[in-house]
Amino acid sequence: MNVRNIVLDKYSAKVYKNRKEHIMELTEETKDQPIAANSRTVPGIITNRGCCYAGCKGVVLGPLKDVLVLTHGPIGCGYYSWGTRRNKAKTEDGRNFIEYCFSTDLQEPDIVFGGEKKLRQAIKEAVEIFQPKCLMICSTCPVGLIGDDIHAVAAETEKLYGITCMAFSCEGYKGVSQSGGHHIANNTLMKKIIGTNDTPPKNKYSVNLLGEYNIGGDGWEVERIMKRIGYDVISVFTGDGSFEAIQNSHMANLNLVQCHRSINYIAEMMKTKYGVDWIKVNFIGIKSTIQSLRDMAAYFGDKELAERTEEVIDDELANIADEKEYYYSKLKGKTAALYVGGSRSHHYQLLLADFGVSTVLAGYEFAHRDDYEGREVIPTIREDADSKNIEHLNVAKDEKKYHAYLTDEQYELLKTKIPLEDYTGMIRHMENGSIVVDDLNQFETDEFLKLLKPDIFFSGIKDKYSLQKSGVLARQLHSYDYSGPYAGFRGSVNFARDITMGLYTPAWGFVTPPWKNRSTLRASLAGGEK
Amino acid sequence: MSKNLVNLTVNPCKMCMPMGSVSAFYGIKKCMTILHGSQGCSTYIRRHMATHYNEPVDIASSSLTEEGTVFGGEGNLIKGIENMISLYKPEIIGVATTCLAETIGEDINRIINEFFKKHPEANVRIIPVSSAGYSGTQYEGFFKALRAIVENVEMDVKKNDKVNIITGLISPADTRYLKKLLDSMKIDYILLPDISDNLDGEYKKVYNRLQEGGTSIEEISLMGGAKLTIELSTFIKGEDSPAEYLYEAYGVPYVRCSLPVGLRDTDMFIRQLVKAGGTMCAETKKERGRYLDSIIDSHKYNSEGRAVIFGEPDFVYSTVRLCAENGIMPVVVATGSKCSSLSNLLIEEIQKASDYAFVEKFKIIDDCDFDTIEKYALEFGANVMIGSSDGRRIEEKHKLPLVRCAFPIHDNIGGQRVRILGYEGSITLLDRITNTLLTQKEHSFRSALYNKYYKSNLETKSNMREAVLPVETPSEDMKTVNLKKSATHPCFNGCGSGYARIHLPVAPKCNIQCNYCVRKYDCPNESRPGVTTEILSPEQALGKYKIVKQKMPNLTVVGIAGPGDSLADFENTRKTLALIKEFDSQVTFCLSTNGLMLPIYAEELAGLGVSHVTVTMNAVNATIGAKIYKHIDYMGNRYFGEVGAAILMANQMAGIKKLSSLGVVCKVNVVMLKGINEYHVRQVVKKAKELGCDISNIMQLIPVAGSAFENMPLTSNKEIMEMRKICGEIMPQMYHCRQCRADAVGTLDNDQSIEFRGCTSATNKKGILFAVSSKSGVLVDQHFGHATDFYIYEYVNKSIRFREKRSVSKYCDGSESCDGMGSGNKEGKMDAILEAVKDCNGVVAMRIGEVPKQRLKEKSIEIFTTYDRIEDAVKKAAEQLCV
Repeated sequence: MNVRNIVLDKYSAKVYKNRKEHIMELTEETKDQPIAANSRTVPGIITNRGCCYAGCKGVVLGPLKDVLVLTHGPIGCGYYSWGTRRNKAKTEDGRNFIEYCFSTDLQEPDIVFGGEKKLRQAIKEAVEIFQPKCLMICSTCPVGLIGDDIHAVAAETEKLYGITCMAFSCEGYKGVSQSGGHHIANNTLMKKIIGTNDTPPKNKYSVNLLGEYNIGGDGWEVERIMKRIGYDVISVFTGDGSFEAIQNSHMANLNLVQCHRSINYIAEMMKTKYGVDWIKVNFIGIKSTIQSLRDMAAYFGDKELAERTEEVIDDELANIADEKEYYYSKLKGKTAALYVGGSRSHHYQLLLADFGVSTVLAGYEFAHRDDYEGREVIPTIREDADSKNIEHLNVAKDEKKYHAYLTDEQYELLKTKIPLEDYTGMIRHMENGSIVVDDLNQFETDEFLKLLKPDIFFSGIKDKYSLQKSGVLARQLHSYDYSGPYAGFRGSVNFARDITMGLYTPAWGFVTPPWKNRSTLRASLAGGEK
Repeated sequence: MSKNLVNLTVNPCKMCMPMGSVSAFYGIKKCMTILHGSQGCSTYIRRHMATHYNEPVDIASSSLTEEGTVFGGEGNLIKGIENMISLYKPEIIGVATTCLAETIGEDINRIINEFFKKHPEANVRIIPVSSAGYSGTQYEGFFKALRAIVENVEMDVKKNDKVNIITGLISPADTRYLKKLLDSMKIDYILLPDISDNLDGEYKKVYNRLQEGGTSIEEISLMGGAKLTIELSTFIKGEDSPAEYLYEAYGVPYVRCSLPVGLRDTDMFIRQLVKAGGTMCAETKKERGRYLDSIIDSHKYNSEGRAVIFGEPDFVYSTVRLCAENGIMPVVVATGSKCSSLSNLLIEEIQKASDYAFVEKFKIIDDCDFDTIEKYALEFGANVMIGSSDGRRIEEKHKLPLVRCAFPIHDNIGGQRVRILGYEGSITLLDRITNTLLTQKEHSFRSALYNKYYKSNLETKSNMREAVLPVETPSEDMKTVNLKKSATHPCFNGCGSGYARIHLPVAPKCNIQCNYCVRKYDCPNESRPGVTTEILSPEQALGKYKIVKQKMPNLTVVGIAGPGDSLADFENTRKTLALIKEFDSQVTFCLSTNGLMLPIYAEELAGLGVSHVTVTMNAVNATIGAKIYKHIDYMGNRYFGEVGAAILMANQMAGIKKLSSLGVVCKVNVVMLKGINEYHVRQVVKKAKELGCDISNIMQLIPVAGSAFENMPLTSNKEIMEMRKICGEIMPQMYHCRQCRADAVGTLDNDQSIEFRGCTSATNKKGILFAVSSKSGVLVDQHFGHATDFYIYEYVNKSIRFREKRSVSKYCDGSESCDGMGSGNKEGKMDAILEAVKDCNGVVAMRIGEVPKQRLKEKSIEIFTTYDRIEDAVKKAAEQLCV
């Protein structure tokens, strides 16, 4: 029996039927089969998934440093999403809202009689004290049920205080995971912010970095490399990001999509509305960073830029050469399992491969089928009730602001060379024999661990300690355990150092008590007894 | 009293009810919990608990979706319970509701009945607890779950001799301590809950998700027949209290104790245990004695404590009492829960403490957020915070230290091992608080004492003098005094001769990055491109000054020129000036700076008696400035490009203006950079004049290897002279600048720094020495015989260092054959030259005559002729010599 079946075998018939569609052992045949994703979690199974609010407020909106994000609901959700993602941000005027948690802290009477009044009052106080240019309201579960009209309050706020204000109906129960929240956030950013300021870029190599949340300073490292080459990074969605930069993002010539899952909606809509092309990039891993930089240069088709790109690549590689070699020698041949959100499980496989580590299992928490199988399956994805509940925003071409960098012929030609509006998904980059799991749960984690025995398991804080108790090195790829950056060239050696230190830490040498070790040392005294 | 803002909560000091409920269920054996609501609730709570305890935390969710909110979540909850049973086989399942389930009005009891109808065979006890996030905090949630447990377990009402001990959220380590204490007192007890193993497990090869530790259902079932309940909570009452339920339902009498933290509350708890039949053992008595001993030992330090105490009401209550009995004044006492009795119960205690500490203001606040805590902490001058790690933002922002001893602790490890209970735990907690106060004291008392007593004394003195003098000394007069000093200042008197100066290298840090500077070498605009060989502490600097002054009576000027920026770390500079001033009140103080911090320190500099300040100002236009300065570090931020340049320039100008208004003589140094500011220099000088500068000095760029301007074309001497002439029409110019080292000693022409180097510390290891003949100080561009100065470089461990500049004239033996430089007596001068380089291993010059070549060979000094940058030439020479 293969590994997949051994694990599935322990389930009841009903759960078996559900989960078997989410787990795949890769072979030549299975590689082309569909995987079940973005569907409801089995209750009671201890999932690692979060909710719609977490995806909207926690992931996409949270890092915006000049926006006051107000959680409308009881205290828990606001508290739990306070500074937990380790997004880094710095501001020039020292006002940085991401260090704050704002909540209306709804109480029982508010649930009974409605919370709108309290929300209005809280906004008034927030505006008076913090004077934000932009305010966002995020609702939590009960708000959607008691019928507070947060969108009306937002419109009223704009009129009253002359600031930009928008509301997000991202109640936790919407959708099946964080993913729904990403979509809701994307839609509103598109509707309300993108395209509201037309300052021209500094040069024609103007780009936006989409789906980079600056965990552990990743975004800064990527920006550093791009600026060295000569790109004008207009905005980052949304790591160290700002409302003001995003207003201007439609002026860029190219969108770079790092996390496809959380931000592809904006990339698509900006293409339709403003003509901004997008390519899939990946700045995690040395080879993938090089490939992404070359794809970008190819898009702009400028000889000088291409040369500059190569120069920077050579220089960056030279800087990390010694460290890279050392860590490669320590990590070569190790195996890893990855279970992270919606793109890191793919990206980090490439970084691990740079250091000779192979992947035995990879899974996404909240990805859709296209993140596994590639964008060509999108037309075949069946919409279920849960995804229908998330609004799909239709945008039209903006005749005035539409600007295409490429001619149609150039576009068609380039499409064959670089991932223009394309993402090929995780599965086809993986080896046969490895396992792919969607929405991996605690039970399956335990079982796969016993069967696959990976050297390292990359996941989050929730399973970190159970993994460590099983004697397996665990690293958090959500927050990097106080480390980073891991992106780009310099980040890759940070990452390699962290896992080398983890694998070779003296602690693992002590976990088997000496009395359980068979003695390997034998000695006899000369002329004495044995 | 309540928080600042009535409707907006900024940085909450509380969590929600389900968090407390699942924590309580974690103390029950073979129990698992499911949260009925969206899956985000369980994910968020698991994340927060796992980070605190460094342990796996498993909480299931019924994963309600939109459909569930419309049609009810019964199906999901039942499915969830079924799956938990089939995968993990728990004996008890806690079902805690969330905002969502409560808002849609789920009837959990009915759903549980449905479950058992469907699965009559299920051997599991299901305990529902109603814990809507909006009905209370984690504090109430915890006790609600305990109450639900005793309500839902069938009790064996037969009387037994056990004592029920019910606790709120205490750490696993405290739980273990409590058990040990109860055992030592021979109490037959049931502890509810018991998280000691479940949230602080040992390392095992196999991790079992079903918790083996905790209070078992059998034990719980005996609670109804116990002889007494002791509930360790000051505030939980009525329908949240398990003890009251046991009394009402089964007639078990109860007493309420506060958390045993501090002497009085621990005494009270132990007294109750003795009443319940326990005996206090000898070891506990000793513990009590040790606590007493420790509070006497540390009372001195504690009396300076002004504490902010925040967290759950029970924790706050007992910690306040611990602080108060140790003389630590609790100035801000806050809880996020609604708990109006907190103030009633504590006001007397804190009032007493405040009378003792002679402190007027304090505040007790419930339903409070961190925004409010921050406000009062600052207003009341708190110096320590005690609570969870959520205070870390205030700690970082205001450098107000935080003792992390309550849930949650997210930025430190060891949350599971925090100890506060009993005499022993109280010692641990108190020591942590005292040590926090002491650490802070140790880091700041020197500067605090200095500022409060010494510096203000200086000010008082001058005030007194002013009072005695008939006329005030306005700054105009100060200027006259300072200008007089210029006559004896070699850099400001226009010729440089006669008087000596000493540069004290006490300021190693720099706060800007100029593109012409590599910090590992030095700041070249005020010093030669070699590292200063030593950095002196203020005390060492005073020592050096004393030695040099003794040997060099013409020493009139003490300067601070780096090697970094003299104001980047002002403490050392201030201290050095103060020490020397105390020793020699006649000395002229001179200082050079990039001007970034000048507006802040200008007044203080003038007060310290600094009469001359040189500011290096290369531009007065941000666009040009951005090309010269890579970045600046200002007020904790790094600014790049034009923003950085603009801040720097604004500060330079404001600083110069302020200084000159205070009567300080100002000089502006301008480094002339080809292609960057060569046409801008005049404007800079003009602006300097407007600001009140007295003299300007236009200098050459010294290209330093590795700097951004490494390959920049040099400005020739001629061009510099021309520019000085042009600017001379605006302001007097300095024509005799020698771009000295940061540790130069002597007259401008005769740097004797080497003789005094290390005079305050051990001498340096000696390498290979080269004498370089150079006009410009940059290139090897002078004939050996024409040299009036030699630049001595040292080659050690494959690196080159500039050692010193030697003036040939100094080596004149005074004999007839040598009548100083420049005269026709060639032979005599050659003697002096040879004398000057006699200890060198090699000579590097552009050319060299036959006679000196011979004479150098006799002394086995190698000769290298080249035209190159000095550093490169020396390096090549050294490499040849080493082969």
